[in-house]
Amino acid sequence: MAAAAPQPTASAAPFDPAPAPRRPRRSLARRLPVEGLSLLAGSLLWEIAGRTMDLPWLPPLSMILADLVTLLGQESVRANILASLQALVIGFAISLVFGLVVGALMGRFLSVEAALDIYVNALLVAPTIILIPVFFAIFGLGDGTRLSVVVVYAVFVIIINTMTAIKTVDPAMVEMARAFGASEAFIIRKVMIPASMPLVMAGVRLGLGRAVKGMITGEMLVTFVGLGALAARFGSQFDMSKVFAVSLIVLILAAVTNWVAQLVDDRLTRWAD
Amino acid sequence: MTDVTAASTETQPPAPWPDDASLAAASHGGPMIELRGVSKEFLGDRSSTTTTHALDNISLTVNEHEFITVIGPSGCGKTTLLRIVAGLIPYDSGQVLVKGKPVTGPGPDRAVVFQSFALLPWATVLENVAFGLETRGIPRAEREEQARVLIKTVGLAGFESRLPRHLSGGMQQRVGLARALAVNPDILLMDEPFGAIDEQTRRIMQEELLRIWGYRRKTVLFVTHSMEEAVLLADRVILMSPRPGRVHEIIDVPLPRPRGRETERTREFTDIKELLWDKLRVMQTV
Ligand SMILES: Nc1ncnc2c1ncn2[C@@H]1O[C@H](COP(=O)(O)OP(=O)(O)O)[C@@H](O)[C@H]1O
Ligand SMILES: [Mg+2]
Repeated sequence: MAAAAPQPTASAAPFDPAPAPRRPRRSLARRLPVEGLSLLAGSLLWEIAGRTMDLPWLPPLSMILADLVTLLGQESVRANILASLQALVIGFAISLVFGLVVGALMGRFLSVEAALDIYVNALLVAPTIILIPVFFAIFGLGDGTRLSVVVVYAVFVIIINTMTAIKTVDPAMVEMARAFGASEAFIIRKVMIPASMPLVMAGVRLGLGRAVKGMITGEMLVTFVGLGALAARFGSQFDMSKVFAVSLIVLILAAVTNWVAQLVDDRLTRWAD
Repeated sequence: MTDVTAASTETQPPAPWPDDASLAAASHGGPMIELRGVSKEFLGDRSSTTTTHALDNISLTVNEHEFITVIGPSGCGKTTLLRIVAGLIPYDSGQVLVKGKPVTGPGPDRAVVFQSFALLPWATVLENVAFGLETRGIPRAEREEQARVLIKTVGLAGFESRLPRHLSGGMQQRVGLARALAVNPDILLMDEPFGAIDEQTRRIMQEELLRIWGYRRKTVLFVTHSMEEAVLLADRVILMSPRPGRVHEIIDVPLPRPRGRETERTREFTDIKELLWDKLRVMQTV
């Protein structure tokens, strides 16, 4: 091959037009009017129903919001929010590391999958709440119990999605990399991991939602700290307005964590829209 | 999409045709690819115990700078043959030599162009073309510089930062071709590279390939199921027969080069194509 061969430019292609880049995903700003209207209508309905029906379990929204403001003003409530958040962050971090590692091993090695598949699937669908007494017996009232509950809620969906992601990486892509002499480590870093990212991130986001549920469940049923404990206490006092106010805090927390996860997801998987 | 037409309307002087003397000077002399009695069986997986005799006693020599096309009914082992030469799968018996050395795996002397393009969907055109160089540990600046040259060669200048899904099939395979050329292999292995591309684009791609091959005379092993394509491109056509996969016949294509569309209108071209069809139709089970 003559190294100094001239490089003529191409006689490309009258019949070879590129498709236009796809329209970007519908932006939040464009969705917002509908969502905003729907939220407004729901709130109005709630307010009217709460005022007219006068049911003890349906306080008007304005009352709930007032309670929300009061609660947020209280030092002890803020401490509880922080405690919940801490359990969520630590529990989710454990789920993430454990879920990604186990999922990746199951996806990569058939023997690991065969060994663990049945447990992972059973625990994914089992009502996790059944396990809470077991954790209580092991860890008592300590943080171990709260964190364990968060982890069993969050980890299995991360495991399963990660495993599926690795298993479904297009073999043609791996073969291509091998054909170009890529090492096993290079293929994992530059092909397997990026290719699995969309499914893995979907699992991470599902896991995050479940982690919030696990956090509240654990706090309500065993450890009596955090937001779950607040909700349980107001519930036993039949103070429905405050129960709803706490629920709102949880909702906001869930929305914010989901939003953060979405941002990370978008950054990592922009190509797959 | 304004830049598409800019690239396509450009005219340029024909590529210089290397004379035989300069090719001989660059040649190492011996055959580039040699298969000696190569056989390959695929064992059935756990659910089926049947084995497929994909290749049976294949012997074949490809000389340097030769353009060989392989044609035969579906399932006759063309892809298997290519993957064995690429070093992607092992063979059961016989010998596979590339530049006189036994093939034990993929190597820098060979590059593959895939029917499915096999581009990384998250990587830009530039990154995809540079991928082969990246696996070889070439630093980023250097590999991107080389990749840009090849992107220009295949007519994709201006598309460097596009993602594959924003390209048509023909353009995606241009990326596949540039990626293979970027590692400057001695041998190009192409498995129905234009099989997934529409007819009009495919014809353009054939001309492009001939143009590029004209001044970078790689040794090419090119699988196709199009008879026109097989004859238009090849110095020799390997005709394979199925069950088990065998070399049925090797047909010389002594048509003059450079070739183009006008080649297809010549009597000689039609004769060879008809000969090929006569031989293919008897093994074609419909
Ligand atoms: N990985 C594989 N496992 C089992 N059988 C295979 C595999 N690859 C190919 N075969 C079989 O080998 C034969 C030849 O396949 P292939 O080389 O793909 O044919 P072609 O490319 O000519 O259509 C076919 O019968 C096919 O089913
Ligand atoms: Mg094939």
